[in-house]
Amino acid sequence: MDRSIAVWVSAALALVVLIALPLGWLGWLSVSGEHGVTLAHYRDAFADPALQKALWNTVVLAFWVGLVSVAIGAPLAWLTARTDVPARGLIRGLVLASFVTPPFLGAFAWVMLAGPNAGMLNTLWRSLTGADAPLLNIFTMPGLIFVVAIYTFPYVYIMVSNTLALIASDLEEAAAILGAGRLTVARTVTLPMVLPALASGFILAVLQALALFGSPAILALPAGFHTVTTQIWSLFQFPPKVEQAAAFSVPLLLATALLLDVQKRLLGRRGYAAVGGKGGQRRTIALGRWRWPALAACLVVMSSAIFLPYAVLAKGAFARAWAQPLGRDNFTLGNFTFTFFEYGSTRAAIVNTLELAVLTACIGAAMVALLSYITNRRLVVGHQLVAFLVLAPVVVPGVVLAVGLFIAYTRPPFVLYGTLWILFLAYLTKEMPVGYAQADATFRAIPADLEDAGRVLGAGRLRILKEVTAPLAKSGIIAAWCFIFIGVIRELSASILLFTPSTKVMSVVIFDLKEEGQFGAISVLGLVMLALTFATVALVQAALGRDVLGARR
Amino acid sequence: MPGVSLKALSKRYGDVGAVDGLSLDVKPGELLALLGPSGCGKTTTLRLVAGFLAPEAGEIWVGDRRLSSPASVVPPERRRMAMIFQSYALWPHMTVAQNVAYGLRFKPGLSRGDRDARVREMLRVVQLGGYEARYPGELSGGQQQRVAVARALVVEPEILLLDEPLSNLDANLREEMRFEIRRLHETFGITTLYVTHDQGEAMVISDRIAVLRAGKVTQVGTADDLYHRPRTRFVAEFIGRTNVIDGLATSLDTVAHGALRLHIAPGPLQPGTHVALSIRPHQVQLAAPLESADGANTFRGTVRRAAFLGDTIDYEVAIAGSDLVVRAAAAPTPRFDVGAGVTLRIAPGACVPLAESE
Repeated sequence: MDRSIAVWVSAALALVVLIALPLGWLGWLSVSGEHGVTLAHYRDAFADPALQKALWNTVVLAFWVGLVSVAIGAPLAWLTARTDVPARGLIRGLVLASFVTPPFLGAFAWVMLAGPNAGMLNTLWRSLTGADAPLLNIFTMPGLIFVVAIYTFPYVYIMVSNTLALIASDLEEAAAILGAGRLTVARTVTLPMVLPALASGFILAVLQALALFGSPAILALPAGFHTVTTQIWSLFQFPPKVEQAAAFSVPLLLATALLLDVQKRLLGRRGYAAVGGKGGQRRTIALGRWRWPALAACLVVMSSAIFLPYAVLAKGAFARAWAQPLGRDNFTLGNFTFTFFEYGSTRAAIVNTLELAVLTACIGAAMVALLSYITNRRLVVGHQLVAFLVLAPVVVPGVVLAVGLFIAYTRPPFVLYGTLWILFLAYLTKEMPVGYAQADATFRAIPADLEDAGRVLGAGRLRILKEVTAPLAKSGIIAAWCFIFIGVIRELSASILLFTPSTKVMSVVIFDLKEEGQFGAISVLGLVMLALTFATVALVQAALGRDVLGARR
Repeated sequence: MPGVSLKALSKRYGDVGAVDGLSLDVKPGELLALLGPSGCGKTTTLRLVAGFLAPEAGEIWVGDRRLSSPASVVPPERRRMAMIFQSYALWPHMTVAQNVAYGLRFKPGLSRGDRDARVREMLRVVQLGGYEARYPGELSGGQQQRVAVARALVVEPEILLLDEPLSNLDANLREEMRFEIRRLHETFGITTLYVTHDQGEAMVISDRIAVLRAGKVTQVGTADDLYHRPRTRFVAEFIGRTNVIDGLATSLDTVAHGALRLHIAPGPLQPGTHVALSIRPHQVQLAAPLESADGANTFRGTVRRAAFLGDTIDYEVAIAGSDLVVRAAAAPTPRFDVGAGVTLRIAPGACVPLAESE
């Protein structure tokens, strides 16, 4: 018997417990009553007009975020993938920046930019026009849609630009030589081939919007409306109605699963892009006099997602009063001393976050490496189930996962609530799919021949794993580590339900600070978070030799 | 130097590439090619021999060691074999020398100095002396191929397995490497199984060829055997080009196709049975129509198509009074134009009867 079998089997079993326990409890609690199975919780949840309203708001939000993301992401992708628009590398870099920016930080920044009273854009507007009414009010549904979409469009961008990069110009030229004009080619060849990517990007954007907690909590709650995620959160406030929260979570879970299934079908049925033959060249389209206007349009998008928010956060970090001009008498480093030395929970939270991020990334990277090796080399019976389970958390919004974990780990045999371990489990579960996707791609690129060649020469499987596979997979696994790390430091939606006063993390503290109106400290913590994120992104790019959005360099 | 014996080996997965009761003996020191179209089970057979797959039935023996049976499979690392892969499978993170030296780590009692010396010597043999410190990514396809060969041979395996090792090379290099592999085989004399779908390659390289079809061995023999004495239509058509003519045996040595009578060398035909004959194109002789059309296997025909191939001309000739069109490969002179009448002659010994059933 192969010695290595024990390793594979225990990794697979750990996975089963990790996923099945919280989701099993979630489903069970949502239907369990004092006298056995009941649908009362569902009835309570869905008969409540407030909850119905929250449901409808989520639908509106998600749908519009999807549309706006497509409207921004698809043209940007086409411009950078196929045309000679100037500064394509810069635009790509900025899309990446928007992709990794924690959405709730963006939402804070936009509160400072477009809050109806003190928002800087509104102040500017008033001083320019003398008007009384604000130009913009971010505390509205359109405001929320806007702020969510500018950090969600990269999903569409990635799908579309990677597909465009795979469609060889030959395909378009084959149509042109048969007599199709430029527009006809675009309509009959290019667009139909991009359509599945476009639709699946739309769905991914919708899913992000469905699962998001931070931005709605920051923008919708002050505006006086709820979404499903904020509603679940408020069901957890004292006195907690866990069963109702569970009942309210299950439909969100099902909707996500359904949408992801649709997305998979869209991509799977006609995987055209994969049919790329050899030597497909991609020629760039000359925009002519539209080059600079196109660049300007890109920069407008980027200034709302990156330039303005980052600038206002930087200003907030160094200003005594963030709404006032940043002059000599308004400049201070006090926000930093306040954040790091005076405010009670920040330092502990930063330590907690870093500890959790490193721990989750290490254990997570090791797990996804093992699991993807198992599925790629088909090492255990039921490896398909392993692949399914490891990707399953994709369909679990953070808030829902938190509800499941809360239920599962506040009772024997595992009482973890109140410790950092419950956060660790939440992060590990939530980040598993991202890490797995990366590790899977890594092992897929290492042909089994390379291992077989060593075995014929006399090396056992574990030895080959160490001497051949591991060195080759190293950079891919480092990338998986980084993805998990980034995911953890920005995590809010699960943390917000699972933290206790002694286990706060950075995102939670930022959320607390908002309640107290401490915008300076928020800005400081936000900058720290961004710095950590971008340092990690740089590490990934170095490890992979390509950018994170997935195209060859 | 042991031989390899495959006994009624079966392995099914999916439908493609299954092995179905395959038996085969590779003699000690012999280079045997497993030849067949894709999906015939040849690579599966090789991976069974290497120990990457376990058979569902049957056994694999090397000398007096039983290596595989449904009950137990000796793992690849303990089989004392070496394998050369279609992709070469060179480790990109190791230098040429490290790649070649890898298998020597598992040889007990070999000092570092011995190891280095063996690696250097082997690289010299495959004409890669001086490339020790290069990485595989810095070598051409042909050089990578040589490294793969060196890595396999340096461990002095009992059995050498090659899985379409030349299919990633361009045509010229492939030609050259065929002779190179043959040369190395003659130098080292290792019992070798060589998988290929290229009959030319198999004929140049191997001592004997086993033609595989649908997971079974159809015929084993030297290239000469298979070419001149194919036993089945499949072998006749797979090894070289041929004309296959279906007919009815009318006597011990005559086959009728419509009004046509073909005489064959006296053989074991059973009168009244259906029989197929294989006739190689170069054994169809063409002559000017003026010459007499008498004698055994002499027919009149008309040239339908002619293609000039340099040392031969490839003709398609329709035989008068029959629906038969045969291919003939004839010397460039005399030259017959399309539409010209010709006389065809086929020596009775050139008509090889094929087994009816397959």
